[in-house]
Amino acid sequence: MSDSAGGVRGRDFTGYRIAGAIAALIFLFLLAWQVVLLFAADSTVRPEVAIRAAGDSPGMHSGMIAAETLAARTRLLDERFRTGPSPEAEVPALAEGRANLDSESMTDGSAYTRAWSVPTEDEAAMMHQPDRIEGISSLPYSNAALFERPFGRDWRIGMSDIITHMGALAILGMAFLLSAVLALRGRVPIRQGKSGRRVHRFGFVERGTHWMTALSFLGLSFTGIAIAYGETLFVPLGERAMGTLGWWSTWGHVLFAPTFFLGLIVMAVMWTAKNLPSKLDIQWIAKGGGFFSDSGDHPPARKFNAGQKMVFWSAILGGLIMVATGVTLMFPYYWLDLAGMSWAMLIHAAIAVLLIAVFLAHIYIGSVGMHGAIDAMWSGKVDRNWAEEHHSLWLREVDPKKERTP
Amino acid sequence: MARAKFLCDAERCIECNACATACKNEHEVPWGIVRRRVVTINDGEPDEKSIATSCMHCTDAPCVSVCPVSTLYQTDIGVVLHDKDTCIGCGYCFYACPFGAPQFPKATMFGSRGKMDKCTYCAGGPEEDHSEAEYRKYGANRIAEGKLPICAEVCSTRALLAGDGEMIGEIYRERVIHRGYGSGAWGWNTAYYPEEDGA
Repeated sequence: MSDSAGGVRGRDFTGYRIAGAIAALIFLFLLAWQVVLLFAADSTVRPEVAIRAAGDSPGMHSGMIAAETLAARTRLLDERFRTGPSPEAEVPALAEGRANLDSESMTDGSAYTRAWSVPTEDEAAMMHQPDRIEGISSLPYSNAALFERPFGRDWRIGMSDIITHMGALAILGMAFLLSAVLALRGRVPIRQGKSGRRVHRFGFVERGTHWMTALSFLGLSFTGIAIAYGETLFVPLGERAMGTLGWWSTWGHVLFAPTFFLGLIVMAVMWTAKNLPSKLDIQWIAKGGGFFSDSGDHPPARKFNAGQKMVFWSAILGGLIMVATGVTLMFPYYWLDLAGMSWAMLIHAAIAVLLIAVFLAHIYIGSVGMHGAIDAMWSGKVDRNWAEEHHSLWLREVDPKKERTP
Repeated sequence: MARAKFLCDAERCIECNACATACKNEHEVPWGIVRRRVVTINDGEPDEKSIATSCMHCTDAPCVSVCPVSTLYQTDIGVVLHDKDTCIGCGYCFYACPFGAPQFPKATMFGSRGKMDKCTYCAGGPEEDHSEAEYRKYGANRIAEGKLPICAEVCSTRALLAGDGEMIGEIYRERVIHRGYGSGAWGWNTAYYPEEDGA
């Protein structure tokens, strides 16, 4: 039982452990950066462009002229007995509409936003309680009858403050945990070493479906991340570059969806029966799948252990939610109104970041995390000793005659 | 500094849709998009009211905040503008907008929405003022000439007011005092004072 007994140990994979340690440091740094952003970043919208009178002296003065020009023009909207529609009356010079106002970028606009958000007493007295208001409209547009939906402001908080930040924490946190596990624990070894004799585990259709779905998922993830996190990740490259990248991403996101959906359906048909929960799963979970010890004393499992079942159900249930909400968003107003589509978008984004975090773990354990695991989905044939350690009951089912190799 | 706003006097709006029509014409707004529209609430009831609405150019604008590609931006007079060259048609602004202002031409298949279009407060876009590209993408730039949005300036009952927020507020208040009633500034709390609880 002790780790010092003979056989391959996880900590012997020195190269992997060094790489894991480096990755863990990088992810820890990114995670810390994300936590700092979470608390320090001010998401208040500030003006970035100033309207100025062109050709005049730069700075505040030309800004005042622009403001006075617009104010003079505003005065014309007062009651007619004051402003008059009369052609004889003299038009104030600034209000003639012959000004030349220009715009220039400005740096610190936060004072404007602060000043704007405080109403005067008179203004406060004439305001309405914010409320959803919808009436009728004679204009030919599907959303024309809507006057006001304060929920938009809540949607913004849900999207850019909660889901985006929590998603980044989930994804980076998972990446950090996995690389830390690789650094400290090493790979999950095949305790007895490879036997050289192999057992057939996944057929061609199973592997083909898996990789089609996997590639679609990766495509959807990368394009989705480009859309959701583009402002942080890519805008430093230039806004035009981000615009182009984002444009391709919105198109690509839709293109990857059909193969993803097809893969989900085929996987559900092939594997649901073998992924129904059983009593063995409780035992497996109680022992943590034997993941953290090199003892080789893995809990018994049939073709799929409890961990794999959880991955399967995340893919099927999570994937179906993604497809349902995604298709809804592809056809605006087809069966949901704006309120419904807003919720669909929030659910789509929240489930997406969770699925990315879950499947990071799946990708890790199927590749560097466990020695020999990749063979199952690559060649379809796994080593007998690997099968004996991880899926002992399955091995007996498919290969009843042969005794366990010593 | 002038903070540009819109205010619609619901007691004066007669649902003539001149604002919507003038806007369409001024900017040659594409088919299927209405930057300015008139909503009638409680139609046929004694308290029926019509209100012209569009992008309100919010304070701490949610659309600018959620835009993943920095397409939307705000000016120091409060006007929210956008850059159609970087817009990816993701629709985030559409879900975040409290007034249903951002719209998409839906010219392409499979949910790609095309470039977002919305009211520019007649202030054009990031292109050079009065250039052909600016007109094609965003419409006329009246602000650069020192004029106000066409919808308000065309309003025959002066129900729809645009311009310096303090001044149009004052015009409206005097009106209410003079005639003795008024239903208030519709949408102002949601648009301009997001942190206030409302009155």
